[in-house]
Amino acid sequence: MKNCIACGMPMKKESDFAMGDTKKDYCVYCARPDGSMQSFEEKKQGLINFTIKTQGLEKGVAEKAVANMMSKLPAWQEYFQK
Amino acid sequence: MKTKRQVQKEATRLHILETAYHIYAEEGFSATTNRIARAASVSHGTIFVHFPTVENLIVCLLDDFNAEINGQLHGLSEKNEQLETFLEAHINVLIRYEAFYKRLISEVNGLPQEAKFVFINMQSVVSFHFNQVIERCKKEKTIKEIPMHIIFNSWLGLVHYYLTNSYLFTEGSVLTEYKEELICNFIKLIKK
Ligand SMILES: [Zn+2]
Repeated sequence: MKNCIACGMPMKKESDFAMGDTKKDYCVYCARPDGSMQSFEEKKQGLINFTIKTQGLEKGVAEKAVANMMSKLPAWQEYFQK
Repeated sequence: MKTKRQVQKEATRLHILETAYHIYAEEGFSATTNRIARAASVSHGTIFVHFPTVENLIVCLLDDFNAEINGQLHGLSEKNEQLETFLEAHINVLIRYEAFYKRLISEVNGLPQEAKFVFINMQSVVSFHFNQVIERCKKEKTIKEIPMHIIFNSWLGLVHYYLTNSYLFTEGSVLTEYKEELICNFIKLIKK
C-alpha cells in the first residue's frame, strides 16, 4: 500500500489515486483538474481552509497544524529545510 | 537490504514505542522515561539513543498512532457510506485504543505544542471522512443546515465527554456500551 506523498492519505483503491493511475504517488485530492500535483501553496491553503471549515479552528492554529503535518510529508521536504 | 544491526535497532525502537503506548495508557503521560525503560527492559540511555527528548518520544508515538488510525478509518470509509455506518466505524476504531485515547484527550492540553498539532491532524483524518458523508447528506437534504465544524465538534464533544467521564456510566468500555445510544441519538439531533 502507498501513502500519498502530498497529504499522507493511504491509497488502496484505484479511485484513491490521481486520475485513477496507480503509478502516481499522489492522491485524487492532491491533483489539479488536469491531473498534475498541486503546488505547495495550493495544498497548504486547501488544507488550512479545510481544517477551519471542518473543525472550526482559529486561523493561526490551523496554519501551524497544517505546517506541522506537511513538514512530515515527502513532497514538501524542501520547504522545511532548516 | 538492511543490515542485521539496522533491523535490530528498528525492533528496539518499536519495542520502546509499544511499551510507552501501554504505560501512557495505564499511567498517563506524566509517566517517566525511567518507568518506560524499566517496563521495556532496556537501559534508560537506550531510550535516548532512539528519542533525544521525552517530547520527541511522545510526538513519534502520536505520529505512529495517527498513521494507524488513518489507515483504519480510510479502509472503513466507502463511497456510499451512510452516516450511521461512518459514526460506528469511528467509534469501533476508538474502542480498539480506548484506554490510550482516553488518556490522550484528557491530557492533550498539557502535552508539548507539537503533540497538540499531531492531535489536531489526527482529528483532521476523522473530519475528512465525516465531511464527505455530511456533504452527501446535505445534498440529499436529509440533515439540518448546521455548519460542518459544529456537527463535527458536537460529535467529538459527545464521544469525548463519555470517554473522559466514563466512571459516570460504566466500569467497562463506555464506548462499547453506549455506542448505539450515542450514534442513534446524535443522528436524531442533526436529521431533518
Ligand atoms: Zn493526497
